[in-house]
Amino acid sequence: MATKQVRYEALVKALHADLYRYAYWLCHEKQVAEDLVQETFLRAWRALDSLKDEKAAKSWLITILRRENARRFERKRFDMSEYEEATIIDTQSINSEQDIENHWLREKIGSLPEEYREPLVLQVIGGFSGEEIAGLLSLNKNTVMTRLFRARNQLKDALEKEPEVRGTYNG
Amino acid sequence: MDDLQFRRSIYADPQCADEDIINAKASDPSKQKFAREIEQLDQQILNALKVPVPDDMAQKLILRQALDSHQQQKKKKRIHLALAASVAFAMGLTINFMQFSNAYTNMGDYAFAHTTHEAAHFSNNDNATVTLASLNKKMASFHGSFSDKLGELIFADYCRFDKMKSLHLVYKGENSPVNVFIIPKSEHLAFINSFSNQELNGKSLQFKDASIIVVGDKTESLQKWQENIKSNVTWSI
Repeated sequence: MATKQVRYEALVKALHADLYRYAYWLCHEKQVAEDLVQETFLRAWRALDSLKDEKAAKSWLITILRRENARRFERKRFDMSEYEEATIIDTQSINSEQDIENHWLREKIGSLPEEYREPLVLQVIGGFSGEEIAGLLSLNKNTVMTRLFRARNQLKDALEKEPEVRGTYNG
Repeated sequence: MDDLQFRRSIYADPQCADEDIINAKASDPSKQKFAREIEQLDQQILNALKVPVPDDMAQKLILRQALDSHQQQKKKKRIHLALAASVAFAMGLTINFMQFSNAYTNMGDYAFAHTTHEAAHFSNNDNATVTLASLNKKMASFHGSFSDKLGELIFADYCRFDKMKSLHLVYKGENSPVNVFIIPKSEHLAFINSFSNQELNGKSLQFKDASIIVVGDKTESLQKWQENIKSNVTWSI
């Protein structure tokens, strides 16, 4: 019992931030993301004995979270595209150069198509390889690599197109 | 590796450590520059993706789990208590049943048990010492009497027949003693006409206030004994 508790707490401490960020980019809402992570860890706790390989913990948790997210849509069907862009913006005060850039880039990432964003988040935040992402999303590896390419390509284009607009934030 | 393919690979995975990618970077400064640009872009993306995590998130997750497992333990405790209570209840019922219920359900079973239990005390060679007069004296408490001897009577006395006062008679038989029980009408022992096991046969006669059971070995003609009893016994009242 004690060891299970210890394992669980270690899992929470090591992975809750990554999982929260993944959830956030999945649903664009802080509160929903937090609920998803809560639900995911609760399920993880109940099924902790089935987790044999600690290295697989992150992908295991992400699989649970994706399922939870899908369940959320079964319960209450609403369309993602109806989300106001404003809701995905981080509302914390923007004060440094870095924050401005993050803020701007977050908008761009938020407006990427879902199918491009999810592999990107898994790669950059989760540190998963192309194969692992393909496994998590039930896609083949080539599709994943193409989507990653397009995601970065679009972000780079956007960055190059709007340097002046970004400058005005500084004024 | 051509430029397009290189760019595609770098876009797809800036950290890509394939050998041909590394070689391409090393051999072509423009490719290296491009790769560095995208690495920089990736750093920006990483910074942007790292949205602030609520400060108390880890604590909340641990708290929620602690509450959940507490809830489960409470449920388990309740189940255990319920189990213990049911076991105690079942044991109580069983003990009650065993102590206060009758072990035998019909008179045949009991008659065999009684006969077998006392078989060692009687033998066909015992002297027939009981007279008709003393038998009838005992029969009086069942309001009955025999008009004639049924056979050579070895033993006659009151017995407990499954907690009922009864008269136990042992006669000499063909090869082994024949047991006759006179028992009052009973509510908990079912009347049974004839019964047998590996060694013994038994037959019963039912009268108004009493039953007479004859038990003998397989060689004994119980039919004859029954007819004999029927023609000899009389009941007052």
